[in-house]
Amino acid sequence: MKLAFVTPRFGTEVIGGAETAARMLAERLCLRPDWEVEVLTSCALDHLTWENTEPAGSTVVNGVTVRRFPTASRRTLDYFALDGELRVAPEIASLAQSRRWISLNGPMCPDLVDAVAESDADIIACYPYLFATTVDAIAVSKVPVILHPAAHDEPALYFSAFRRSFRDIDGLVYHTRAERDLMEDVFKIGARPQVVLGLGVNDPAGGGRRGSEILGLGDRPYLCYLGRVDEHKGCGMLADYFARFKERNPSDLALAFVGPVSDAAPDHPDIVVTGTVSEADKWDILAGARVMVNPSAYESFSLVVLEAWTLGVPVLVNGACAATMEHCQRSGGGLWFDSFRSFESAVGRLVGDAGLRAVLGESGKRYTARNYLWPSIIDQYTAFLEGVAARGRRAPLRTTRLDLHAGGTAYVRTGGGGHG
Amino acid sequence: MSPDVPAPDGGPDADVTSDVADRIRYLDEVMAEIDAEVRRRRASGDLPAGLEQELDELFLEFSPVGLQGRARLRETLSLVDGSAYVDIAVPTSSNKAVGSYVKRAIRKGLGWYMNFVVAQIVKFAWSVSRMFHVVVDHIEDLEATVEANRSPDLPSGLVPATPTGSTWWAPAAVDALVGVSDRVVVGDCGDGSLVEALTAAGVDAYGIDPSDIALEPALDRGADVRAEPVLGHLAVVSDEALGGIVLTGSVQWLRPNERVRLLDLASTRLVVDGILVLHSSSPAAWAATASPVVRDLAPGQPLHPETWAHLLRSRGFTVTATIFGGDDRQLARVGAGAADAAEVNAAIDAINDLLLGPTEYLVVATRER
Repeated sequence: MKLAFVTPRFGTEVIGGAETAARMLAERLCLRPDWEVEVLTSCALDHLTWENTEPAGSTVVNGVTVRRFPTASRRTLDYFALDGELRVAPEIASLAQSRRWISLNGPMCPDLVDAVAESDADIIACYPYLFATTVDAIAVSKVPVILHPAAHDEPALYFSAFRRSFRDIDGLVYHTRAERDLMEDVFKIGARPQVVLGLGVNDPAGGGRRGSEILGLGDRPYLCYLGRVDEHKGCGMLADYFARFKERNPSDLALAFVGPVSDAAPDHPDIVVTGTVSEADKWDILAGARVMVNPSAYESFSLVVLEAWTLGVPVLVNGACAATMEHCQRSGGGLWFDSFRSFESAVGRLVGDAGLRAVLGESGKRYTARNYLWPSIIDQYTAFLEGVAARGRRAPLRTTRLDLHAGGTAYVRTGGGGHG
Repeated sequence: MSPDVPAPDGGPDADVTSDVADRIRYLDEVMAEIDAEVRRRRASGDLPAGLEQELDELFLEFSPVGLQGRARLRETLSLVDGSAYVDIAVPTSSNKAVGSYVKRAIRKGLGWYMNFVVAQIVKFAWSVSRMFHVVVDHIEDLEATVEANRSPDLPSGLVPATPTGSTWWAPAAVDALVGVSDRVVVGDCGDGSLVEALTAAGVDAYGIDPSDIALEPALDRGADVRAEPVLGHLAVVSDEALGGIVLTGSVQWLRPNERVRLLDLASTRLVVDGILVLHSSSPAAWAATASPVVRDLAPGQPLHPETWAHLLRSRGFTVTATIFGGDDRQLARVGAGAADAAEVNAAIDAINDLLLGPTEYLVVATRER
């Protein structure tokens, strides 16, 4: 059986939930003896510019064959203008407007789309829903297409162009039930073959150092955020809430932001911002944390929550985030906040009660071990793919390829980034 | 109170389920304590009201509006209120010495103009905000009324299990659906055995059941099943996406309005010529065999097959078969040689007809239009 992933960008350098998830699945699936896996992707690594930075052609990344195709245009300022216009009321954007939005969102890779049309794979897996590569691949594929939407509740999800495109999907793979509920509610695709798969968690691979030592905190206890330090991920809110918490609850508690910094780093004497760290340091920092905090309301799975639980570290999540809330409510492994008041109370309880932390951490650990180990994830995934492939391509192929909107002023990255 | 932590090597599935339930119950208790503390602190007023609102708005700013549905209406409304005022006092600080003077001059020079325009914008925004307050008040009144009139669900612990595949009617259901080319959904599929029987017969079937625990055997066998209630599921299926629907289990105790909704959904989700298979207890058998607690607490009760047939015909279905089965509760007739055999058998026949008829039935219908 041959599977071709279609992703807008791919590589170990790419930091992003959906892209990382696709890579993790591909790397593990290609180890199965009866499976051949290839990835069709763009030559770009930057989702804000779609600049062709990687050479076109075939390479092998961690055992996975990757075929790169050049993007036909960089992102232009026209995208931001149209995005601002449509995001206020996406449901009433016309089909033409929303198709133009997807085209401008990119990446537009005509050669990649041709390759999908001519692919000898038994099944195509598109990942995630938001990009032109996905919509075009669904439009042209002659073999069954499954979609890993990696969707969350955002304006673009309501564009009619996606509704039109997703009629032609043969199966869906979700990260969480919350994601499935959202997609089914918006697109009325409940009858399609689907599976709530999630992702597997890697074994902890710490280097044996103390997390507080890596952070330069001595013996101070600390909370930890793991991931891209970005306003849209709720990092600014977390920094503000933490600073206010410290004003009202003086102690030696610190907060560490661990990950690449997209926006201006929070500036506070009790906040440490590490930037990108090694995998070993990441695990060591996580292992030493009193609590792992994920303040983002826009998560489609949140691997870092499960990583914290593999170490028995409890989590605190945003009560407005369906995906992380689902993890906590099904496992009993973490608390949540939906205001500064509840943040303050939850942090106070978690930091001051070692027994509570131990119980929550153990609950999360058991949940992760039962549901998110790689061998069973891959077993489920292959069984699902085989089922969809056996049903054949059911879609009537009613959509057409997106039009390339050439020209316009190219967007130039000026440092921070928050789109996509 | 924290849950007892079982041995690390785990145990049988039942123990795991119980352990998870204990841990989730503990989490609920902790979150309830946190909520109580939040209310206590709010009441104490230890944060200035303006600051508290500012911090709450910060949370809302990074939350998907309306994600939590009605519970978030008030919070979202406060965000609208907070945005309804437009400040015309443009900041005038500048890194350049002369910049601040220039900005102040522009602000002063344009002040009369900006004031005029902004006053109208603010008036409009406040009108809109007031309208939303009226709408939200109205919605909350409606919700309270609906909630007061709503009969509670059958408690999940009382829901009878539905071992669909091992029952008398499974072969008839398979026969009715063989040859259907579109997808077939089995509602309240339980352990998934009917789904597997349909799949083995070449039907593109999948199952749904509201209970995770009921589905576990099916999931362990790799069956295409998922945890969803039948009404909720049909609501997220597009029109004419299904070639067949099998209804059993909860269809027997749906509320009357839910039953109407179910039939409306079924009639639109099925393709023309699609097959609906409905299995139910008979009302008499339900009264005789269901536990008194279930009968008393169930929001609805089983219908007669004739009633289902009537409801289905009114929605464009043709009933193609009504098959009776289930436990044989009928009294045996006495032998011809027994004393007063004719009278006794007549009485037995009357009792059998009136009280001990078939316990279950299957209605098969086709959507004609």
